[in-house]
Amino acid sequence: MSNEISRRTFIKGAAAAGVVLSASGCFSWNGRNIPEKVRRGDVTYDVLIIGSGGAGMRAALAAAGNKDRKVAVMTKLVPTRSASTMAQGGMNGVTGLTDPTDSIESHAFDTIKGGDYLCDQDAVEYFAERAGKNIFEMDYMGYPYNRQEDGHFHSRKMGGHSHPRAAYFEDRAGHAMVHTLFEQCLDKGIDFISECQMLEISMAGDKLAGVIAMDMRTGNFIGIPAKTVLIATGGYGRAYWVRTSNPYSSTGDGIVAGMKVGIPFKDPEMVQFHPTGLSVNGVLLSESSRSEGAILLNKNRERFMEKYAPEKKELATRDIVARSIATEIEEGRGVGEGLTAGVYLDFTHIPAERIHERLGQVYDLSKRFAGVDITKEPVLISPTCHYSMGGLEMADFHTGETRVPGIYTAGECSCVSVHGANRLGANSLSEVLVFGHTAGDGAAAYAKGHPYEGSQDQLAKDCAKWKDHFDEVTTRPHEGNRTVPEIRDAMVQTMWFKAGVFRNGPQLEEAAKELAKHEEDYKKCYVGDPSHVYNTAFEQYVELGNLLQISHAIVQGAIARKESRGGHTRRDFPKRDDANFLKHTLIFKDETGYRAEYKDVVITKYPPKERKY
Amino acid sequence: MKYALFPGCVLEGAAAEAYTSLKKVCEAIGLEIEEIQNWTCCGASHAQGVSDLASLAVNARNISIAENLGLPILTVCNTCTLQLRMAKYRLDHDTALKARVNGILKEAGHPYEYKGTSEITHFLWLLDQHPELFEGKVTGALAGMKVAGYYGCHILRPHEVMNYEEGEHPESLERLIRRLGAEPVWFDASRKCCGFHAQFGAEHDVMTVTGQIAASAARADASLVVTPCPLCQMQLDMYGPEGREAVHSDTEMPILHLQQLVGLAIGMSKEDVGFNRHVTGQSKLKIG
Amino acid sequence: MQATLNIHRFVDGKKWVQTYKVEVQTGMTILGALTEIKEKQDPTLSFACSCRSSICGACATRVNGNAELSCEVLVEGLMKRYRSEELTIEPLGNFRVIRDLVVDWDPKYARIKKIRPVVHPKDEFSAEKGCLQSPADFNKYKKLAGCILCGSCVSECNKNALNEDDFLDPFAFVKALKIATDTRDKDAKDHVKAAIDAGLWACFNCQECTAKCPKGLDPAGAIEKLKALSFQYKLDDNVGARHAKAIYDDIQESGTLDESKLNIKSEGFLAAGLRLPMALRLMNVGKMNPMEKHPVNPEIKTIDAVVKAAEAAEKEEV
Repeated sequence: MSNEISRRTFIKGAAAAGVVLSASGCFSWNGRNIPEKVRRGDVTYDVLIIGSGGAGMRAALAAAGNKDRKVAVMTKLVPTRSASTMAQGGMNGVTGLTDPTDSIESHAFDTIKGGDYLCDQDAVEYFAERAGKNIFEMDYMGYPYNRQEDGHFHSRKMGGHSHPRAAYFEDRAGHAMVHTLFEQCLDKGIDFISECQMLEISMAGDKLAGVIAMDMRTGNFIGIPAKTVLIATGGYGRAYWVRTSNPYSSTGDGIVAGMKVGIPFKDPEMVQFHPTGLSVNGVLLSESSRSEGAILLNKNRERFMEKYAPEKKELATRDIVARSIATEIEEGRGVGEGLTAGVYLDFTHIPAERIHERLGQVYDLSKRFAGVDITKEPVLISPTCHYSMGGLEMADFHTGETRVPGIYTAGECSCVSVHGANRLGANSLSEVLVFGHTAGDGAAAYAKGHPYEGSQDQLAKDCAKWKDHFDEVTTRPHEGNRTVPEIRDAMVQTMWFKAGVFRNGPQLEEAAKELAKHEEDYKKCYVGDPSHVYNTAFEQYVELGNLLQISHAIVQGAIARKESRGGHTRRDFPKRDDANFLKHTLIFKDETGYRAEYKDVVITKYPPKERKY
Repeated sequence: MKYALFPGCVLEGAAAEAYTSLKKVCEAIGLEIEEIQNWTCCGASHAQGVSDLASLAVNARNISIAENLGLPILTVCNTCTLQLRMAKYRLDHDTALKARVNGILKEAGHPYEYKGTSEITHFLWLLDQHPELFEGKVTGALAGMKVAGYYGCHILRPHEVMNYEEGEHPESLERLIRRLGAEPVWFDASRKCCGFHAQFGAEHDVMTVTGQIAASAARADASLVVTPCPLCQMQLDMYGPEGREAVHSDTEMPILHLQQLVGLAIGMSKEDVGFNRHVTGQSKLKIG
Repeated sequence: MQATLNIHRFVDGKKWVQTYKVEVQTGMTILGALTEIKEKQDPTLSFACSCRSSICGACATRVNGNAELSCEVLVEGLMKRYRSEELTIEPLGNFRVIRDLVVDWDPKYARIKKIRPVVHPKDEFSAEKGCLQSPADFNKYKKLAGCILCGSCVSECNKNALNEDDFLDPFAFVKALKIATDTRDKDAKDHVKAAIDAGLWACFNCQECTAKCPKGLDPAGAIEKLKALSFQYKLDDNVGARHAKAIYDDIQESGTLDESKLNIKSEGFLAAGLRLPMALRLMNVGKMNPMEKHPVNPEIKTIDAVVKAAEAAEKEEV
């Protein structure tokens, strides 16, 4: 019996074995996930924000500053489930409260150096000037900051920073941000369009018409007219699926929608790998593991960091440690094989009490997911994709606009560029605040000065197209077709081993070919759920389609960038090459495929130097 | 085996049968109990809503009297157990709070300070840990009888404080019912709340759940309900008529205190255990 | 080791229980098992999840009748707890179900709004310069800020199960207390009042919410603290507050509860009079004797002094 047949038989058998109960009245519901006026089709939003993480909600609050503006936040989940909640460390900003000697210049310099000089320095200056202000504002909004004796919020020092400048709430800085912004949004009566999967941005010619989305609850395809659309959909770490610390929702939906309407994907190859993800599932073990003294051992129990960074050893920067671990595994000194191969992270020399006191979460995660008591034995870890520096090109960081009129972007899905080739700790949350704020203001100002020029007909046409697509896709037979998870797993094999921590020309070329094959499979893949109600199988199908395009862009960007810089490491070009690559990759997508262009990095007063810590 | 008994208010009042039956059962099984002298109400899960510190201090006083006797504390009420254990938990985990409360006791002229030396257990847990106390004495009076064990809330939750067993999956009551010669039944309301503490805040809902619990036990084919909490017992028994009305049911279900069931199992009569003081199910109890 | 999962399905108006078997791997959480089923056995099984690190709150479900964060609990651990290879998985209780394990959050957000869920900063603070708060004052509410809105606390809430219209979800009370104890806020009394209006005194005190919180918060305790604040702000003119106060006063006046007078103290003479049939019923079986004089604890002076000293100490702290 073939694998597929046995599976189907199982499903049928299980369904038959299931006890069919009648649907009772208590299960009926009238969804309020979408405002009534959207259902009726009689609202044109001034600002329609896609994504309800930190950037999206901060943008909504800015855009709704004037009560006359019609602002909505759309999310594929419900408002507080975003990747922002997972940020632990804090949000950087120069406030002068904890360390009066800190300066905007210092924050800018640290950021630029950390980004391996791929940051646009004017944007970084703009960012550093405003980060502190946004942190003060959050205090006024009710962010539960940890405090210092004088009553001001306290800031701590993060890796790569020369001053303590990260304000925080415990070890859950992002969680507190999201919930504070959500409280504000509830209070201000911001419209949420929840549980709607964005499918595309609809254009009537070169005029923005609105957004096409699937209402997960009804399966209806809805076209929402908007004068401006602000994309804040988060990163694309799920291109590496199990080898990422990102949530399941980080599938680059907004980036793909933006590329489709002509916005370039800037620096897609710039992906940050965190050295210590659990081998079994990519979940992050905090940086504090190493700062508390955990050591890394290969399968021969050799402390290999002595070889790669004789002085700092495990305390070397994230990228160096990640590359060292990847080298050990590649050269056969890792434990296990494939995506879950790893090296040992050993805590056993640290007193158990100290582990429980300071590394409680690391202890819990290791115990839960790997079944390992780290006070007694080492746990297997390997690098995990942690952050996407690349994203939709922000054409003007003063407004958050892209090169397509009416479309704005902010947060991890955007590329400003503030982070360059590598993001520093606690800069992501501040970026979300600064540019969420800026883009919200920018979009609202645009909406004020422009009439709606899209067309409802176009929206209806696009909805009809998606409906047909849904019907076709969800009723495909299983036989002869690969499933969505099968194709996704194949994509991860390609991305992790050929476009992961280390890259080289021939492997990247292979990766491009393999991705093309996966895309062929995708075109006829098996989804397996025809229901219109909360069809997560179809949603995952859409997300995989997005991830495949994201992966293509990563590979194209990596092929073209023949140097090593920040998160991008080419074995065949191990050095940074400022003469040829002090510039941004811009990947465009059209009917003919992917095309790369370049744009010079903006340098103001921080000339590129060798990055040394 | 000797314990300092914290009877709790209702055993002195409306649930006096719970006290008389407890005394009889303890005597029969050789468990020595000495009432904590001049104890006060535990706060009945309400006093902390007026003043948390006062409620804590009052219970520290209660516990300190038992500590002075050098005895562990035994309770027969879920809510008393929770209030006392919660006080102990907080005082034992927070030395500053303990010092503060001891300061209050001293200032008020109470002769003992709270030390944290007396454990606090519930009658159900004690019997579960020491089946030897009654095992030879079980007569078989409950043979074939289906009994619904109704835990109530405060003997299980919060888990951190009431950590005798898995709060999501307790089994002590069923184990005891079996050891007493009856057959425990599973019913879906066994861990529900009887609503006693919200009598005034949500009367209609409380009557509804009162009816639901009895009906749930009846659906499981139980012939009686036993509970380790006199407050649950009072709610389900005294308000039986209103409960039945609320859920439009005519099922009358005898609701026994735990010690009454033990008494019946070791050969006592209905009168011995004070069943004549019950409101509900007088004609339904076919033992003793 | 194999686990049998009986999953409550609800799709397009049909409701049934479907049985799946999964091979239990090291580190397999309930979410891991659900994912494996969806990927390898049945693509139609629907559930919500996002971060799989117990911070986003998306994936709470009910296993054998108890709410759990499905990304956090191990299948193996639950099999051990329930001493069974068979586990039953349902959507959270006290939520409307959309499909399978996916529940409807919209009504919940509307309910959070009832407690005015936002800090109203004092006049001396500004958006430009932020606020001031001592570390000690921060410590008073920091635990409450850890709520992830996963809905576990309301799943087994006994009050919500009976009627949710005159009571809020425990997480909403947590938020109310968080803001009411945040010293940056100038309207603490308003938030407490909003909590009372939204059903504060209807809580059953069943402790299910506290038992279920995966982040170790204590919603039941939060409700009690809001009650105590309602006395501080003199918002105590309601039957629930009078009942609590009557019990409290009994301790101070006699040491124990005077059951025969509790009703009258809580509800007043008239309403208590309506309970006459009940009283007669109790007198009939000897459970109540209005003629009997309630005894007074011989150490009542000390007890009264304990209560007063505690009250004084509490006031000092405020």
